[in-house]
Amino acid sequence: MNCEEFANAGLDRNLEAGGPEFAAAREHLRACPDCAALYETSRVLRADLRELGQETCEASAPSRIEMRLRQEFRTQHKTLRTHRVTWLAGWSLAAASIIAGAVVWVNWNRENTVEVANRMGPTVQTAPRSNSPREATTEKPPGSPASPARPQTPRKERTQPLVASKTSDEFTPLPGSVPGFLDDSTIVRVQLQRGALGAFGLPVSEERASDWIQVDLLVAADGQPQALRLPQSASN
Amino acid sequence: MHIAAQETDDVLLKRSAKGDEDAFTQLYWRNQAQIYRFALRMTGRAWAAEEIVQDVFMTLVREPKKYDAARGPLGAFLYGIARNRVMKHLERQPREFSFEQKNAEGDAKAIEAADNHTPAHWAEVRERRERVRSAVLSLPPEFRETVVLCELEEMSYEEAAQVLECPIGTVRSRLHRGRALLLAKLEILREAPKRANASR
Repeated sequence: MNCEEFANAGLDRNLEAGGPEFAAAREHLRACPDCAALYETSRVLRADLRELGQETCEASAPSRIEMRLRQEFRTQHKTLRTHRVTWLAGWSLAAASIIAGAVVWVNWNRENTVEVANRMGPTVQTAPRSNSPREATTEKPPGSPASPARPQTPRKERTQPLVASKTSDEFTPLPGSVPGFLDDSTIVRVQLQRGALGAFGLPVSEERASDWIQVDLLVAADGQPQALRLPQSASN
Repeated sequence: MHIAAQETDDVLLKRSAKGDEDAFTQLYWRNQAQIYRFALRMTGRAWAAEEIVQDVFMTLVREPKKYDAARGPLGAFLYGIARNRVMKHLERQPREFSFEQKNAEGDAKAIEAADNHTPAHWAEVRERRERVRSAVLSLPPEFRETVVLCELEEMSYEEAAQVLECPIGTVRSRLHRGRALLLAKLEILREAPKRANASR
């Protein structure tokens, strides 16, 4: 073993206590006074460092550090909890607002549909009032100039009442109608959106609410509809 | 809440991150002493070591997700933070050396045990220890931390390499170089009083 090998392999070892693997290093130590001096200095240094290490080996952070850290820990997690609660509350409020908005919109939409139906109802019902019920029920030839129900344009056809044949067998009485009044009634054929039937207390499929259908209304002498009849094509 | 002693640091850290204060306290007591000693031996100042310990664990409280268990044990992670803080401290105060001998509560510690040695012997021991301390504290930081970990903390090369995040060969060479520097500094420190006496 030369000096360089000794410096790499044996300088930081305890050669006196070492086993047979350090025999070559010990041999070199006996033969080389420079390395022996270096080894001795190194040994003293190691002992000094060990002593210095033992001096502070029991040292630990004072308890006030733990107190501070625990305080910080509590503050940190309290703040986190507060943030989480605030976040949850914010999102809940937003979700509630959206739901409330949706409910309001649905209600408004439904009211709007009913309003349209109501608006169409009086248009149709006022027509028989302007004409005598007897006149309305009288069947006139289509080419007659005095015929009030003759449609001029498709638009007018929708607003002006059509007088239907009086076969009251298939009429469904409307809620609140008085059966005795049926004798003086007039049958009026109107075109309205299927959604408007909801106003008469009838079930309406929402998917087909916007369809236009023909309905025969049995209108009493006071102008109030008493019953209605759906032609076969509209009832499907 | 009872925390089983065998629970790993990782589990404790997860529980601590969820707000379990006992888990955090357990973690603190498992690791604080070695971090404090490392900081004290690196800076030579008790107040600096306290600050560093506080910073290290504050990081653990505020950013527990910074620790990645796949990269090594929690102890090495804490040492890493402590090293950064020590380096910052040394950059701020590069020339101040004062190895205060204080115990955990900050009081002066009686380090010599009562025995039959003479006061002159103890004076000599104290002087030699002071020289070694000054020599360690005057080492460049990269050599100092290797000497502190391998010689004072008595870590193996593997452990030191994990803490210092460098290969074992680097630890070995830094230690070798650190020892050589220490010897040179101790020689200078040993000769200084003699030269001072001779000049009088």
